[in-house]
Amino acid sequence: MNLGFAWLMKALLSHYWRHPWQTLFLLVGLIAGVGLWSAVQIINEHAEASYRDARNLLGTQASHWIRPRRDQGIDESLYIELRRAGFRQVFPLIELQVSTGDGLSIEVIATDLMALPLDSIEGDLLDGDFSTSWLEFVQPPFRAWVPAVLATELGISEGDQIELRDGRRLPPALIQTREQQGRRVLVDIGAAQYLSASTKLSYLAVGQIKPREVQRLRQFLPADIELVENQQHLDLEQLTQSLHSHLTAMSLLSFAVGLFIVFNAVRFSLWYRRATLLDLRLMGCDLRLLIVAILLETLVWSLLGTLLGFAIGILIAQFLLPGLGASLQSLYNASVDGELGLSWLTLFKAWVITLGGLAWALFWPLLRQLRRASLQAASSDTLRRDEQKGRRQLAFFALLLLLFAGMGYARIETANQGFIVLGLLLFAAAWLLPLILASVLRIVGQLLPQRRLLARWMLFDGWSQLPVFRSAMMALLLALTANLGVTTLVDSFRSAFVGWLELRQSADLYLHAPNLDYEQLHTAGINENWLVDSHERIGITTRWRGRPTLVRGADTRAPDSLVFPLSKWQGDRPEDARRAWRERSNTILINEQVHFLAGVEIGEVIELETDNGAQKYEVVGVFYDYGNPYFQFYLPDQVVASQWDHHYSRGIALWLNQENTAAMQQAETSLHALGAQPGDWISQAQMRRLSVGIFDRTFAVTAAMNALTMLVAAIALLASLLAILQERLPQFAQWRALGVRQVEFLLLIALPLLLFCSIVWVLSIPLGALLSWILIDKLNIVSFGWSMPLMWQFAPAVELGVVILSICGFTLLVVFLQTRRQVSRALAQLGETV
Amino acid sequence: MLSIHALYKSYQYDDVRQTVLDGLHFEMQPASSVALLGDSGSGKSTLLHLIAGIDRPDKGQIEFAGQAIHAAPEARLAEIRRAQMSLVFQQFHLITTLSVRDNIRFQAALCQRLDSEYEVELIDRLSLDAQLDKYPHQLSRGQQQRVAIARSLLHRPQLVLADEPTGNLDEASSLEVMGLFTDLVNAAGSALLMVTHSRAMAEFMDRRVLLRDGQLKESE
Repeated sequence: MNLGFAWLMKALLSHYWRHPWQTLFLLVGLIAGVGLWSAVQIINEHAEASYRDARNLLGTQASHWIRPRRDQGIDESLYIELRRAGFRQVFPLIELQVSTGDGLSIEVIATDLMALPLDSIEGDLLDGDFSTSWLEFVQPPFRAWVPAVLATELGISEGDQIELRDGRRLPPALIQTREQQGRRVLVDIGAAQYLSASTKLSYLAVGQIKPREVQRLRQFLPADIELVENQQHLDLEQLTQSLHSHLTAMSLLSFAVGLFIVFNAVRFSLWYRRATLLDLRLMGCDLRLLIVAILLETLVWSLLGTLLGFAIGILIAQFLLPGLGASLQSLYNASVDGELGLSWLTLFKAWVITLGGLAWALFWPLLRQLRRASLQAASSDTLRRDEQKGRRQLAFFALLLLLFAGMGYARIETANQGFIVLGLLLFAAAWLLPLILASVLRIVGQLLPQRRLLARWMLFDGWSQLPVFRSAMMALLLALTANLGVTTLVDSFRSAFVGWLELRQSADLYLHAPNLDYEQLHTAGINENWLVDSHERIGITTRWRGRPTLVRGADTRAPDSLVFPLSKWQGDRPEDARRAWRERSNTILINEQVHFLAGVEIGEVIELETDNGAQKYEVVGVFYDYGNPYFQFYLPDQVVASQWDHHYSRGIALWLNQENTAAMQQAETSLHALGAQPGDWISQAQMRRLSVGIFDRTFAVTAAMNALTMLVAAIALLASLLAILQERLPQFAQWRALGVRQVEFLLLIALPLLLFCSIVWVLSIPLGALLSWILIDKLNIVSFGWSMPLMWQFAPAVELGVVILSICGFTLLVVFLQTRRQVSRALAQLGETV
Repeated sequence: MLSIHALYKSYQYDDVRQTVLDGLHFEMQPASSVALLGDSGSGKSTLLHLIAGIDRPDKGQIEFAGQAIHAAPEARLAEIRRAQMSLVFQQFHLITTLSVRDNIRFQAALCQRLDSEYEVELIDRLSLDAQLDKYPHQLSRGQQQRVAIARSLLHRPQLVLADEPTGNLDEASSLEVMGLFTDLVNAAGSALLMVTHSRAMAEFMDRRVLLRDGQLKESE
């Protein structure tokens, strides 16, 4: 770098030193945008890394599973027999779902550490203090390895014993986070067998094994035990893809809103420096050198913004991860570690996107600035004409985006395509906004009577404020629209979900205890007058069209089968389809995921592989299946029982006698008496609370992102107001000299601001409705296969209106205080002469 | 040093095309000074901008120190403005975010012709010693114009183009600044072409020319 270029950089960068507010806003915009984007990116990449590691169980590669075809568990004797036959890579696992005294559900996983195939162990399972703690782990009273995140959630410390709902306790806690343990508590197999009061194993895992050995291993297995390849990592990537796409889209929106602040800040930095740029050119700085200097400046900002934004992103990710991890565990059984793993690649991506965003925010104003080659071109008239031209150009591009969005809408087949259309629509709306604001200003100006001079003055001053507010208003429109759209989606989803839960979970108790005699329980319940009805559900797990699939067998006489909520049906009424399903053994009900994601229609005949060969079933109904990522079919239970020998019980639903106030207590007493453990059943209220809890936790991330995006938009507004103040200080001082009062200044700034905010708020309502409609009608369907009615409410729009008013009030207060101080100073400088 | 032949320039205002320079001829020798007089809107500033290469003529030739300004690419023009010319304006055009000292050094630093002794001399002659660490907005207009003059001379340009340099100052300050300006330009060995309305200011120059109807005529 030669001396001349260094002086050029000094002249350009000195602006930021002399205008710290602008520097601050530029940084805030960058940090906010990059922070929100990188937070989601860090979470997504972390989750994806966890899915890729799903093959990795407790640090050991599990290439296959040995699972019971039914829900009967695996006898320990089979495990011992396999080890004796030389299969040293086979190791046992027990998985238990237990409830704490506070009703929190936690997962316990148990293995025999001594049996893990040491040659394939990866990660940190045996690292550090293992040598000293493993003896404690395998010997009574055992140790429970509790992940740090879960320990914090449960409020337990080292040595504490987690108390379960029935009063039993887990072994003393050793708080440590190990790879692939996720949120699960790890105990020794002996401790788990003691806890479950059974010697049965849940399943066996098989480490690295040669194909020839797989064949030999299969021969050892009895008919009711199967050897399946571990495809969990592939399934998780496929099932969670849409969820991560949704998160990415939200983060990109936040980034775009942050970018509007940057755009605003860059615009002002160029506006302030237009005289400097002109001087530099007059003094012989050639254009190319100036462009290089500004690009270098961009590079510096991008690096600074990326580093600071990324640091904030890590904090946001740490804040959001526990909730999201819990949701992924509940919805997809995906184990996502509580500890974030960071990669240089993510940081690099953050830098690339920041640089791209900054280049975009700089390009347009820079191009316009550099076109002004002569002194005359920098006149206010030229600036005004440029502004007008800029509005028209933006509107033209907005119409092009609308055209592309319209063409793309009919072709939406994936979540990513849907988000591209949404992005086009949102940006089209944002780019049309300056023209709309200008048109409204013109119309209101024409409507104002000539004699209202002061009002006309204040309104027309809006023309001076419009270029400054342009970016902030666009950011606000995006934030409001996204907020309203997503809130409507969540409200609609919640309402549909809760209504659906009421129909689907109509039984009072759900019991899953494979060793219990359900007939005996039913008889006892009827005799003791606490039970009205009970129905067992059976099913099999399989794969259909490459996706994990459940085939369920339901009792066609069960109360909930009679009112099965259908979204599409054969015949005139849902009842016709339900009747056909009950009465004709070759009919089937499919969930919406099969309908929307696999494209199966009503009346279509599908083929399922059964133990009796391929069987054909006619689709007579499509049922809602919210929250389920898998394909699911419903057949009458006798059909499932006759076609699949290895079907297993999925539990029993109990409808209690509502006239007997002590029915629940009696039921629990009977269940205890028949040998059921407290974790084996769950009441309807608990189940709904759990389901709604998972729902709310999943969308808590959305709410947090919405709030942060609004915050970013509010900062954009404040930055614009302060910029107006700085830009027009000499003008304000002159007006003050003419006798304009403080309150009139406030009105002068507030009226256009409130007018613009009102227009944006009004526009955001139909746009938000459109966004939610696309989210519900298209995106939710192509992403998850869940359809629901759009439930539009005006309350969120009103709430957002109040939020905008509060933001305006706060920013006006800040600006008012600044005006009082600075205009007085500027006024004193007005009279200065030579 | 500066030679202009058959120079034409017009502007389009809505539907009307207005000719500002109509086949203008002009010659200027090194280290000489010329006052460019004329009514408002006669095209004085336009001529100055064309000479500086800030604007392009419709037709005609401008040659400066053997270089064809009218045909030079933008990068070359920038190079010429940086090293061989300087511009002084009524509105000073100082870089507001740099200190007085940095403003004075700026153009000389750009063309890597910093001369500490000459810098001290200029600062001394222009009485700017006490203002060096201040910023432009902290100075009076007269002081700001002195900074602009110092900046324009520190790199010893061949030609100084000045557009109403004292137009923003009162009469007493104007005379004082102009006296200093012409002295310093002479001492630097530069040529000076100055646009002015004022006969009094024009008296400081070796020659006076009048721009009227797009043509230049010698004036007394």
